Amino acid sequence: MVLDKSIKVATYELPLAEELPAPASCGEDQSGDGRTSERPLSQALLAQNVSWFCQLRWLVIAILVGYGILAFFPGLIRYFGLRSPGMWPFVTAGILTASNLVFLYFARRAASSKAGAGQPEGTQPAGTASPEKAVPRRHLRMLPSTITMVNLWGQIIADLLVLTAVVYFVGSMETSIAFAYLFHIVVSCVFFHRRWSLIVTFMAIGMFAACIVAEYVLKILPPMSLFAEVPLDQNEPSVLIVLALNFFLTIAIWIAVWYLASHLSSVVRQRDFELAETNRRLVAAQEERSRHMLVTTHQLKAPFAAIYSNAQLLERGYCGSVPDEAMQIIQRISARCRRLTAEIQEMLQLANLSSTSQDALVRTRIVSSDLLLWCMSQVDPIARERGVTFKTDIRPVALVGAEDHFKMLLINLLSNAVVYSHKNGLVHIGCRREPNGEAVLTIADNGIGIALDKLPHIFEEHYRTKEAVQHNKESSGLGLAIVKHVAERYRIRIRVQSRLGSGTQFELTFPAPQNHSENP
Amino acid sequence: MAYILIVDDDEDFAHTAAVVLCQDGHEVHIELDTGDATQSMQNRHPDLVVLDVMFPENPSAGFELARFMRHKNNNLKDIPILMLTAINTKFPLGFGAKDIDEDWLPVTDFLEKPVDFDLLRQKVTQLLGRADAAN
Repeated sequence: MVLDKSIKVATYELPLAEELPAPASCGEDQSGDGRTSERPLSQALLAQNVSWFCQLRWLVIAILVGYGILAFFPGLIRYFGLRSPGMWPFVTAGILTASNLVFLYFARRAASSKAGAGQPEGTQPAGTASPEKAVPRRHLRMLPSTITMVNLWGQIIADLLVLTAVVYFVGSMETSIAFAYLFHIVVSCVFFHRRWSLIVTFMAIGMFAACIVAEYVLKILPPMSLFAEVPLDQNEPSVLIVLALNFFLTIAIWIAVWYLASHLSSVVRQRDFELAETNRRLVAAQEERSRHMLVTTHQLKAPFAAIYSNAQLLERGYCGSVPDEAMQIIQRISARCRRLTAEIQEMLQLANLSSTSQDALVRTRIVSSDLLLWCMSQVDPIARERGVTFKTDIRPVALVGAEDHFKMLLINLLSNAVVYSHKNGLVHIGCRREPNGEAVLTIADNGIGIALDKLPHIFEEHYRTKEAVQHNKESSGLGLAIVKHVAERYRIRIRVQSRLGSGTQFELTFPAPQNHSENP
Repeated sequence: MAYILIVDDDEDFAHTAAVVLCQDGHEVHIELDTGDATQSMQNRHPDLVVLDVMFPENPSAGFELARFMRHKNNNLKDIPILMLTAINTKFPLGFGAKDIDEDWLPVTDFLEKPVDFDLLRQKVTQLLGRADAAN
């Protein structure tokens, strides 16, 4: 071998196949320090939580206003031994209303930014996706997820400040209002990962401690309470010790609640992440399998297409005249090539159907009339060739399933009806909706028919009746096996009525869509 | 008669199609990969391109050549393209004539392999006639 030193040595190392992470076992320590549990919630879930948080705040504002209105009923206040609230409930409600409007504005802005960021990837046919369609837009100054996260932090900090004011006015140690901080601690455990929720917990402790110190230790703020009479004399040392004990007990309870809530939240988030990851991989595997199936189809069909083309050259006299005996052989080669091509396709379809998991199916709403008309257009060339005409009575009914599968099902039944019809035959196609929402499709021919004893076998793979073989040699016997697989997958009931020599009718009953309003 | 470029990695099939089209009086040239086809088209503009989809080095090279001709090269954008492939609409990721689209599948017409020669000749005549009328 002559070495050309101008050519650089190229090296490539085959990367190892990516493997699914082993799911954590039940006994495993799941302290929440693992990376998956540290992941924040998805943007959609965070945005949903932001809105929910804002809605809940309106309730708090209503309660504050309601409490403030009590000031207009002094008799009622005296009856319950309360102190007149004054203006603070209205002031805090006003601050909360203003801040809530700001938070809602930013929540909507984040939602509209997300909508403006374009369609998610994968909405176009896979496998042939054009790279130019997948270019991300870069015109957004701040990502929706960042706006949502800033919004959430803003809400929590503003809430803690307002809550500290409310705690002070209601009675920081005289009442149990301090436990209202627990709401924000638990919510932060759900929204954020552990470290961030711990920061929220410390912020709550800090604000509560500041309130207590200002009120009881430094006495900068006058003691406040919901009640008209303060039961404890705050100047007594023993009372101060009780207050201090109460304070530390409250903080200890908060930390315990934070630990439990953040731990449980981490576990749930880790499980969620594992589920989402497994689902993503299943979908990717399904797409990869479909791609593989497509390439396999191409690789298997292409050689037969070439053989068929060469046989046609001889058959049509492009290479000069051929003796009659040789011509018969060439015609057999052509016929066998056509049949093999169809068989390869059907075998792959069947393999694809059998191995596709129920979860991986993308179910859409399909209108029966559109589907039937499309399938009829596919079978129309064979029907014309055989002089078979279609007679239709089709009402539009909603079907739910994978469109490709329903096409497979109907094309097989329609082509059978055409192929096994007599010359110039008639195929009736009907579709109606039953009162219970089920769709009933009928395909009836007046062709060769099937004998009673053979009917139970017609859905078996490669089964063909003697009459069918005599009528049409070019069939794989897989068409009805495909029909059976699709029917089983979508719980479609099939009823076959036939009379030998007179014709066959297939009646398909599709289950009603779960949401009846989907019907057109 | 017209100058037709067949772009297909299957030499057997390309040869048979060429024999049929030559018989009709057309001048036919075969290229076995899309890179050479692009070069060939720059040297001499065909009146029609008969294009396969899947090539050994790139399963969507046919799509990419069609998009290049339609969107990135002004000199080639008006040449009619007849796409010929063994893939059809019966598979989840399959496609057919109904999927012809200016962005995604910018071809003029579509035929599935194995193709009937009469149908191929008919389509070629039709596409060349349409191109003549447009010119």
